[in-house]
Amino acid sequence: MSGAHLEPLVKSRTALPRAPKNWHSWVLIAIFVGLIAALVWSWLFIEMTLSTVFGGFSDIWNLIQYMFPPMFDNFPEALRATIETIWMALIGTTMAVVLSVPLAFMAARNTSPHPVAMAISRGIISLARAIPTLVLAAIFASSVGIGPLPGILALGLHSIGMIGKLFAEAIENTEATSRDAVLSTGSGKWQTVLATIVPQIMPSSIGTSLYRLDINLRESAVLGFVGAGGVGFLIQSELRGLDYQRAISAVSVIFVAITLIELISVRLRASIIGDHLSAQPKQTSRSRARVARDQKKIYMAISSRQLTPPWTQERVLRATVGGTYLLMMIVALATIDMPLLSAYKLGDDLVLSIGRLFPPDFTTARSELIKGMLETTAIGFVATALGLLIAIPLGILTARNIIIRRLVVTLTRGMLLFIRGIPELIFAVIFVAAMGLGPVPGTLALAIATATFMAKLIGDALEEVQQAPRDGVSAVGASRLQEFISAVVPQALPNLVSQMLYMLDVNLRSSTVLGIVGGGGIGFLLISAIRGFETETVGAIVFLIFVIVYAIELLGSFVRRIVA
Amino acid sequence: MKTADQQFIKSSSFSGGTDTLISLTGISKRFPNGTLALDNLTLQIPEGQLISFIGLSGSGKSTLLRHINGLLRPTTGTVEVMGKQVSSASGRELKKVRREIGFVFQQFGLVGRTTCLENVLNGALGRLRGPRYGVRSYPKNLRSDAFDQLERVGLANQAYQRADTLSGGQMQRVAIARSLMQRPKIMLADEPVASLDPESSAQVLDILLRVSVEDHMTVVVTLHQVELALGWANRIVGLRDGKVVLDRDATTLKQDDVMDVYRRVDKTLDDGRDSISVAASRVQPMP
Repeated sequence: MSGAHLEPLVKSRTALPRAPKNWHSWVLIAIFVGLIAALVWSWLFIEMTLSTVFGGFSDIWNLIQYMFPPMFDNFPEALRATIETIWMALIGTTMAVVLSVPLAFMAARNTSPHPVAMAISRGIISLARAIPTLVLAAIFASSVGIGPLPGILALGLHSIGMIGKLFAEAIENTEATSRDAVLSTGSGKWQTVLATIVPQIMPSSIGTSLYRLDINLRESAVLGFVGAGGVGFLIQSELRGLDYQRAISAVSVIFVAITLIELISVRLRASIIGDHLSAQPKQTSRSRARVARDQKKIYMAISSRQLTPPWTQERVLRATVGGTYLLMMIVALATIDMPLLSAYKLGDDLVLSIGRLFPPDFTTARSELIKGMLETTAIGFVATALGLLIAIPLGILTARNIIIRRLVVTLTRGMLLFIRGIPELIFAVIFVAAMGLGPVPGTLALAIATATFMAKLIGDALEEVQQAPRDGVSAVGASRLQEFISAVVPQALPNLVSQMLYMLDVNLRSSTVLGIVGGGGIGFLLISAIRGFETETVGAIVFLIFVIVYAIELLGSFVRRIVA
Repeated sequence: MKTADQQFIKSSSFSGGTDTLISLTGISKRFPNGTLALDNLTLQIPEGQLISFIGLSGSGKSTLLRHINGLLRPTTGTVEVMGKQVSSASGRELKKVRREIGFVFQQFGLVGRTTCLENVLNGALGRLRGPRYGVRSYPKNLRSDAFDQLERVGLANQAYQRADTLSGGQMQRVAIARSLMQRPKIMLADEPVASLDPESSAQVLDILLRVSVEDHMTVVVTLHQVELALGWANRIVGLRDGKVVLDRDATTLKQDDVMDVYRRVDKTLDDGRDSISVAASRVQPMP
């Protein structure tokens, strides 16, 4: 703080000046009041009461009791479906990466061949992001037929939205000197791109793709709900047949797969992205021995003027990961149950199925459309608020610098990790089975997913606070609670507010598809329109979902700019 | 800083060829923002010289260098390099000319994540068809050639080290090796030692002088440290406000003559006090 700000304080001791409010703070207050009003309205709209919430939880508890002990006699089938789910995620992500590379180079400011190409590719990337995978899968399933194919297509197209965007950003973040230097040796444009830009974006691109693979595995676990392949179909049919003990065994198989793959992917991402010089890994005797071995190999290569790079640890790791990936892709493509459609036929089907959505028909189901949209929005708000309410205590329990008992932290973290391993739509389908159709089970499912995710974010934000202000407040004799409120909360708040808005954004997107499994909102109308072949109404719903998601994204980025 | 060996090379190489390799005739450059960076400048550069442009920042020396390989085009006047009109060349012709001209940047411009060998190999891209990725995508004879170039700059031992693990001076030497990989007739170096310590600067300039002699190559270096220019160049061209204010053989030149290039810019340095040492301390951040 500069001295200028302190002056008025010294001059007028009797009337303390109020903190001045600027344009930003008024906007923030307006947004805050708006959010509270929206929340109250939402709560009333979906007819939530405390008794429905607690009644709902007791219904769910009853259902869970029916699930035990799980019956694993369907294990071979569950395993087969889970492997199919993994292959779908792998092929879908690969498809998205392949499609994203040219789009990203066209969309990045520094490599785009033409402004028109840039605008078009950016448009495609935004469009892909705005239509949820499950919606795409439901539409494709009705045109190319039931099975993994529509699921793969949906994953592949929707993921372009994230992968293409992050790839383009990575390309724009590369430094230009090396490009100019190589260009000035007389090399061609694409030679230069491959020699200078690609090595720079490689680690982050692999990281992005692996991260998306994680997300896509969760998504493909529920694609079966709309007949698009994977373990979701098995789970849903067992729930519908009231075969809860087998349903839980199928859920647990996919749960184990998701958790395992996430653990592997996190480690891989850390070792690929974390190879920067500043991030020196811990020096152990083993790591020192490894470095020494590498140096010896490099030395041997140089002294014999070997013209191929030596097999250092890094290169061995890269080759192993690449080889494993290729092998998995081959197995996936060879074993997945997919009709061998020609690219021509496939393109024809896709164009046809998209063409049938036009012209969108908003009038036939007008009142249901409006109700569905309102319900979707209301679910998003209530789920975020409920989730936040659960997340705050859980988040505090996971912060190592707040909670002294290690056991409490470890148990809470373990529980959160466990729950995060189950996709939210699987919660939704179980809750719907327990409570019947309607917005309340959908809201509760989203709230639980929100709570586990937010709790992690809150825990991380709390662990990032600086220690010095806390010591300062403690030193003047504050109690632990006072110290927490005055020294920890203010530091973590800005970050948490923006995370909360992000969560609202995510939940509004998710609530558009909850209805597909009977969890309320526009999704229910969507799936019945698809089943009834009312394609023009489907077009109208897809358009509305696109508008909501896009509007929320714009609002979210606007608010985040102000908060930051 | 000067070694006996280097003195020998310098005296034996001096006078170079007589063929004019680069010919700049009456060139002016006005940037879109209105700055007149070059002002009706004429200069002939023969084969096989190490020539240094000196002058304050903003005097036009980097702009002049960028006209030689066609990175910039003059507003008026002509630039002729190896008999080709660079100032009016088409994109394809320009690429051909650039293949013959090595360019060394102040900020090195290496791809940090790849090995030194691969960075050197990038210099051969102009001669190759199609995109390349990774050392093994280049033909064996080029890989061997790249090793030789690294040896020339004394960094063969770092061939399989990532470029971002090197020191600044080493990076600049790898960048020179990359330019040598082009087998250029002309090497342009824009402030190649501006971000290096004195010892690394000397090493880099040594290498530039050596290639000019051994390969009979014309090397044009912009420098702002007068002492370095006097120590290594055959010929010194002083620039101020886009004009040539000094053009002499380095052997007949005294530090005082060169200081003129700098002194007259700042009038305060002319009155009274020990102006030369003040000017010297301004332009030479080195001890």
